[in-house]
Amino acid sequence: MSAQKLERLLNLTALLLDARRPLTAEQIQRQLEYPEERVAFRRAFERDKDELRAMGIPLRVEKVPGTIPAVDGYRIPREEYALRDPGLTTEELGALYLAASAVQVEGLPATEGLLKLGGLVTEGSRDLGVHVAPLPSDPNLARLFGAVSSRTPVRLRYHDQERTIDPYRLEFQRGHWYLTGYDHLRDEERNYRLDRIQAEVEVCDGPAFDPPATTVPGRARGAWELGGEDSVRARVRIDGPQASWAVQHLGPDHVIEETAEGSVVVELPVTNRAAFRSFVLSFLEHAEILDPPELRDDLVAWLS
Amino acid sequence: MQRLLSMVPWIASQDGPALAEVCARFDLTPQELADDLDVMWLVGLPPYTPDALIDVVQEGDRVWIHFADVFDAPQRLTPDQAVALLTAGASVLALPGADDGGALARGVAKLSAVLGVDATQVLDVDLGIDASDVLDVLRTAVTAHRRVHLDYYSYGRDVRTERDVDPYLVHAEDGSLYLLGHCHLAGAERRFRVDRIASAVLLDERFDPPASAPVAGIFQPDTDDPRVVLDLAASAAWVAEAYPVESVEPLAGGGLRVRLAIAGEAWFERLLVGLGPQAVVVEGPSPLRDAGRRAAGRILDRYR
Repeated sequence: MSAQKLERLLNLTALLLDARRPLTAEQIQRQLEYPEERVAFRRAFERDKDELRAMGIPLRVEKVPGTIPAVDGYRIPREEYALRDPGLTTEELGALYLAASAVQVEGLPATEGLLKLGGLVTEGSRDLGVHVAPLPSDPNLARLFGAVSSRTPVRLRYHDQERTIDPYRLEFQRGHWYLTGYDHLRDEERNYRLDRIQAEVEVCDGPAFDPPATTVPGRARGAWELGGEDSVRARVRIDGPQASWAVQHLGPDHVIEETAEGSVVVELPVTNRAAFRSFVLSFLEHAEILDPPELRDDLVAWLS
Repeated sequence: MQRLLSMVPWIASQDGPALAEVCARFDLTPQELADDLDVMWLVGLPPYTPDALIDVVQEGDRVWIHFADVFDAPQRLTPDQAVALLTAGASVLALPGADDGGALARGVAKLSAVLGVDATQVLDVDLGIDASDVLDVLRTAVTAHRRVHLDYYSYGRDVRTERDVDPYLVHAEDGSLYLLGHCHLAGAERRFRVDRIASAVLLDERFDPPASAPVAGIFQPDTDDPRVVLDLAASAAWVAEAYPVESVEPLAGGGLRVRLAIAGEAWFERLLVGLGPQAVVVEGPSPLRDAGRRAAGRILDRYR
């Protein structure tokens, strides 16, 4: 960006931030260094507005009060533009910078956010002892986070069905992002894998929903829980050598029985039978579905 | 421009920071900073007389900005920036040994407060780095360059082995934790999944770490591994994306014929029983050609 253009955009931002009431294009043209010729001005002004919006600056178009017929005016509401100062100490800013350097989300640079918060501070850094690969991103991640933050319902397409969901929380587990939320259609809390959401999530205009009272945070999701089928509870025996790995993978809450030889019985809620079968088969002959008979038969039929 | 909108409020809030500090915080060269400050001289509000312009004072190696009230706060964080920062913060806080009352925890809490979300309630990141004695031993061994003795379950070959390893790096990727190091059993660099290490013992032997940092790459097949040719139904076409196939040819009906290197027989058995009727081995050395049928037979024995 040329220095002249930068200067004009900064002055435009200052002017619209300072404006008590929306300014018309003509008022803006008079104040700033724009071409005098009408068409050239319009073209330059449109480009400037697009650039400010692309930077996330909330440039609003409003009717100028008292104009008949109504005339469009522009302003940047300070309360929508400005970040409330979180009052971070240098040490806290340094800790955030260290975290952002250690754990990155692909395609979402944290440095821009840190610059707004007071810059990149390298004080008090120490080695985490573990190297962390960048986490995968998802085209819907930022939008869903926005909806979770503002407690706004979203519409999305999943398993070829349109659903309206109150988004409660986002979780990253075993390489994937998940959304937990209340599904209006099914009238219950469900989990969705972000990379299986079909097309773009749409944020609804509806009123903010009440925060959930029941969500249990931090529980690992299995692929067998991510389906639209009727829920059944399945019990699986897993043999000794694989048991410790399976328990670590599933979490100890699912274990309902442990034997002296080291095998375990786990109980899992299943709403996706194909994914459940794949999971059990990943243990080869070291695991067996005990219940329900329906799922046992399904596995036998698959292999026969 | 966004850098300026972040930098100006910070400089204005300080009492003459050193130019070098501004450069370090905002990731600028001295020349870039000088150019940016030159532009700020010309920014202000109508009527753009000297008293209405932002005042930039440079004295020696320090800089002051006065009368920048219109830019007294940085821009709000975009959802992208908020996700990136809070994800990083939440991830590092979830690491074993993180300090709940430390600078990072305070920083994340302050940031959550201004964003109007409770980061710990709406965002949960599990990098698969669970506290364990094994992890403690490995972290110590990596930093102290000490050899370890591992009891390891090899998933690809479905066997447990004991081996000595010179550990180079602990690496978290896609929700799993890996150890990279020189394996004395294989006589080569190998990657181990930390959750499949049943026990790790710190040995007295020290090793010289490699001159260049090891790269935590993905699984690469050995040139000696046997190859098979597999026909996949359309519903199993994902296999060609998920594994490093050597060739892909389309089949009538949307299926694929792929050539695949097989690093472990148990791994191949799992793939085949998981795919069931969706995959047929059309070519390969004899033990692999009917690997699926043999594995299915062993599994079905448990259900008779």
